[in-house]
Amino acid sequence: MSCELKLKERIGTINPIFTCQPAGAQYASIGIKDCIGIVHGGQGCVMFVRLLISQHLKESFEIASSSVHEDGAVFGALNRVEEAVDVLLMRYPHVKVIPIITTCSTEVIGDDVDGVVTKLEEELLQVKYPDREVHLIPIHTPSFVGSMVSGYDVAVRDFVKYFAKKDKPSFKINLITGWVNPGDVTELKRLLAEMQIEANVLFEIESFDSPLMPDKSAVSHGSTTIEDLISTADAQGTIALNRYEGGKAAKFLEKRWDVPAIIGPTPIGIRNTDTFLQNLKAMTGKPIPDSLVRDRGIAIDAITDLTHMFLADKKVAIYGNPDLVIGLAEFCLDLEMKPVLLLLGDENAEYENDPRIKALQDSVDFDMEIVANADLWDLEDRIKNKGLELDLILGHSKGRFIAIDNMIPMVRVGFPTYDRAGLFRYPVVGYKGATWLAEQMANALFTDMEYKKNKEWILNVW
Amino acid sequence: MEDVTKTRVEQLIDYIMKNCLWQFHSRNWDRKRQNENILGMTTKLLCGEPVTPETPEDKCYWVDAFCLAEAYRERHPWLATLGVDQIRELMAKLHEQLDFQTITGSLNEELSDQHY
Amino acid sequence: MPYHEFECSKCIPERKQHAVTKGPGEDLTSCLPKGYLNTIPGSISERGCAYCGAKHVIGTPMKDVIHLSHGPIGCTYDTWQTKRYISDNGNFQLKYTFATDVREKHIVFGAEKLLKQNIIEAFQQFPDIKRMTIYQTCATALIGDDINAIAEEVMEELPDVDIFICNSPGFAGPSQSGGHHKINIAWINQKVGTVEPTITSDYVINYVGEYNIQGDQEVMQDFFKRMGIQVLSTFTGNGSYDDLRAMHKAHLNVLECARSAEYICNELRVRYGIPRLDIDGFGFEPLSQSLRKVAMFFGIQDRAEAIIAEETARWKPELDWYKERLKGKKVCLWPGGSKLWHWAHVIEEEMGLKVVSVYTKFGHQGDMEKGIARCGEDALAIDDPNELEGLEALEMLKPDIIFTGKRPGEVAKKVGVPYLNAHAYHNGPYKGYEGWVRFARDIYNAIYSPIHQLAALDISRDPIPTDKGFVTQRMLSDASLPEEIRASTTLRQYSGAYDSVTPLRDKTYPTFDSRPAAAE
Repeated sequence: MSCELKLKERIGTINPIFTCQPAGAQYASIGIKDCIGIVHGGQGCVMFVRLLISQHLKESFEIASSSVHEDGAVFGALNRVEEAVDVLLMRYPHVKVIPIITTCSTEVIGDDVDGVVTKLEEELLQVKYPDREVHLIPIHTPSFVGSMVSGYDVAVRDFVKYFAKKDKPSFKINLITGWVNPGDVTELKRLLAEMQIEANVLFEIESFDSPLMPDKSAVSHGSTTIEDLISTADAQGTIALNRYEGGKAAKFLEKRWDVPAIIGPTPIGIRNTDTFLQNLKAMTGKPIPDSLVRDRGIAIDAITDLTHMFLADKKVAIYGNPDLVIGLAEFCLDLEMKPVLLLLGDENAEYENDPRIKALQDSVDFDMEIVANADLWDLEDRIKNKGLELDLILGHSKGRFIAIDNMIPMVRVGFPTYDRAGLFRYPVVGYKGATWLAEQMANALFTDMEYKKNKEWILNVW
Repeated sequence: MEDVTKTRVEQLIDYIMKNCLWQFHSRNWDRKRQNENILGMTTKLLCGEPVTPETPEDKCYWVDAFCLAEAYRERHPWLATLGVDQIRELMAKLHEQLDFQTITGSLNEELSDQHY
Repeated sequence: MPYHEFECSKCIPERKQHAVTKGPGEDLTSCLPKGYLNTIPGSISERGCAYCGAKHVIGTPMKDVIHLSHGPIGCTYDTWQTKRYISDNGNFQLKYTFATDVREKHIVFGAEKLLKQNIIEAFQQFPDIKRMTIYQTCATALIGDDINAIAEEVMEELPDVDIFICNSPGFAGPSQSGGHHKINIAWINQKVGTVEPTITSDYVINYVGEYNIQGDQEVMQDFFKRMGIQVLSTFTGNGSYDDLRAMHKAHLNVLECARSAEYICNELRVRYGIPRLDIDGFGFEPLSQSLRKVAMFFGIQDRAEAIIAEETARWKPELDWYKERLKGKKVCLWPGGSKLWHWAHVIEEEMGLKVVSVYTKFGHQGDMEKGIARCGEDALAIDDPNELEGLEALEMLKPDIIFTGKRPGEVAKKVGVPYLNAHAYHNGPYKGYEGWVRFARDIYNAIYSPIHQLAALDISRDPIPTDKGFVTQRMLSDASLPEEIRASTTLRQYSGAYDSVTPLRDKTYPTFDSRPAAAE
């Protein structure tokens, strides 16, 4: 009976769980209204991230590149940033916010992006766009540091840091969601609405799930406004749901603007959603209404139908973004399942001090491994060569072949989930998310029982 | 060029442009070589002269030439009404025109690159 | 020059030279856009980088190789599982990707030691794989790691492994095409001629510039095998590393995607005297001509004719069923590089479609020459298109369908234009006779999607038909067809299976008597 937090034992990465920092900054950038980022690096750093996002959401998002070619790599490429800003502003009259997102190449060649932003503010913006509101925000996300998760965290902080400014105290709170789906935002906003709480939602990405309109007008983009970002400094408090995706921004607001911060827990499952609501109540003084008591009851009713009959003792491996993985593991435990392997795709010194991981270490009554800096081979190798037996895998689509080749049922969760239809539309957070997750897991097990003819008759009388 | 010849050259070129790839190798020396050899053999075939490719290179020209000659015969019955000299003259004009469109008059700035 | 100036690009005047409309009487001496020039920063171009051109497009389809990228994880992750190049060995190349995971400390102190450990470790983890390609990335190119030296060291220590080095960092060229070039040249310089193959036929080809998208290579290989031709190697779809080291022993290079792989054919011609035959594997007539030419080269035309006759008889009635229903439909043919010329003419000839525009994301002027040559009048040709130009063109041209990539396909969706994936295909393969019918079927299903029809209706103001609970594609496509076509008993819809490729893997092939005269 042990729960060990360790690092991947190999030096290389076979089938990475994450992509690199600039991707996280890009995902954050599309959450802001009137914002098109410029990624300062080679074109692939943008093209593939746009493709990845469009695979996940089945929508296209605009992100620009400074298109660094050979000459720029040799002589410096700041001229490419200057040109990119001008071209973008000329052709996209609605754009107000332009993060300049660095990559490994431009960090290695040492391009002074902060310097060029100052130069552009003093020259280009004043001379050519004197009447236009334009915000250029350097975001340093070298790919050889952290992962897409830290890139997201850094970008959210940098946006907040750039805009936040005290005006007059507001009753709003800041809700920093972390790297979630449109369906999660819908559920979170519903919970807030039930409690009659107004929030600056970072980021307001329900609109990522955009319609196909008869007048062809729809575009997919986030809708957090500059005003929302500015007023984060006036909020009565910040709740950052994810420690590693938005935690930095919450801490910044607390330190710089005295906005009290509550970081976590990721509201996955009943218990963590309860805590989230208690935190909301404590922060705003608003009571938890009967409607949410009822909502919670519906979720618990649904889960009760599944948990001890079907889910209990099922061994699960979970990989993906750290807050998601930990949240899912906690929920699995409440569901009487055994999350035997958790894979966190990057190395982060803070994992050791994460109270949730400590709690797992203190109380888990079976052997659980938590591997940081993990890759997907950590999972597959254990299954294929080291005797790991699993009933279920929870993770994103990049690990699909592990499930397929080893015939283990899998519920797609996290980012990206391109090999299943419409998952971004459903929440994993809140009471609705708890129901959805439990039912997805149960249905995945049921389908597998039928496919393998493994006591499939048991469902005859359920 | 008289009108009828011009029209015929245009028809012949149009077939090459729409259906063939051999005229679009990436460098001008290759295009020159391809045009010369393939159209040379095509001319002979259309004139009923023997073509006996020996080397692999010649065989490769020959398959393109053979298919082109076949296509021309099939599509352009007027070819059968021409004498050998007329065919040669027409094909020379075609060659000239193809060289112009793909080499000398080409706007492709990479044709003169010294490397592949 | 009949340049087309986009409204949205008037403020970047150099863009004007990148789009032309082929007017009446125009030919290539008066109508060709600029191409393969540096991208305009901030234009939201669709181009990728030279690393992906090398690793993702050409390197990775090799099926029995550990593909290791020397750099941070992102390059590896991003170019993994976004293509459909399958293989007959369980898709190892799709499933596994390797990164050396370069971190800040390596940027400062060098990553050569890290690289060496990675190589050894990867071979240990996959003991059955003895071949590796190492791809340089921006970061490791800039810090100047000597990848070649490390690979040499490992090959000395592990004599049963072989390693290929591809130095094509993302910034090495205006687009992914820079990477195509670099990996072609690197392969012939490093690897061709290092293995002596077993020759099993008098007729030996390399099949070049073919990436086995949804099984294209396997379909074409089936034709070659039926003719008794040995496909010594395929560069690179479903291709084997050691087979490709033996490319110098083929009699003929059969070249499909000249954009990505003409370099190696040109070099093989110069260095080894192997001729280059450009072919089209798409479309009945071009494919028939292609098979005929390959066979004629070897003096076995009868074998090709037998295949052509059999396949045409089997599939032509199905192609024609679709052609009757696709006539006059307008297409924006907006692929990456080679498909604009592979498809431009033949979809008009054999499917009755009308190509209103071609574009190339990463092609060169040579691709535009071929594409424009094969287009009809008034087609708009765009080099290195960007997001706004694409939207403006769709608005202006009002196509019925667009053939493009996944993400631009999502843009088209929003303006009511159905898309087919030109790179990865919808339900391919699209090569071969059956494949071509599958393509026509996919186009038909896209254009006549009843949901697509519903998308255009505004329920708040348009007259809404309330007399139907459903509409079928057939009700839409056949409404204005003449009765004799609608009721034709010779034409028929596609009748093949969902998976047309896997059965080919277990096929047995006839043996032919050797014809010494034909051998070189």
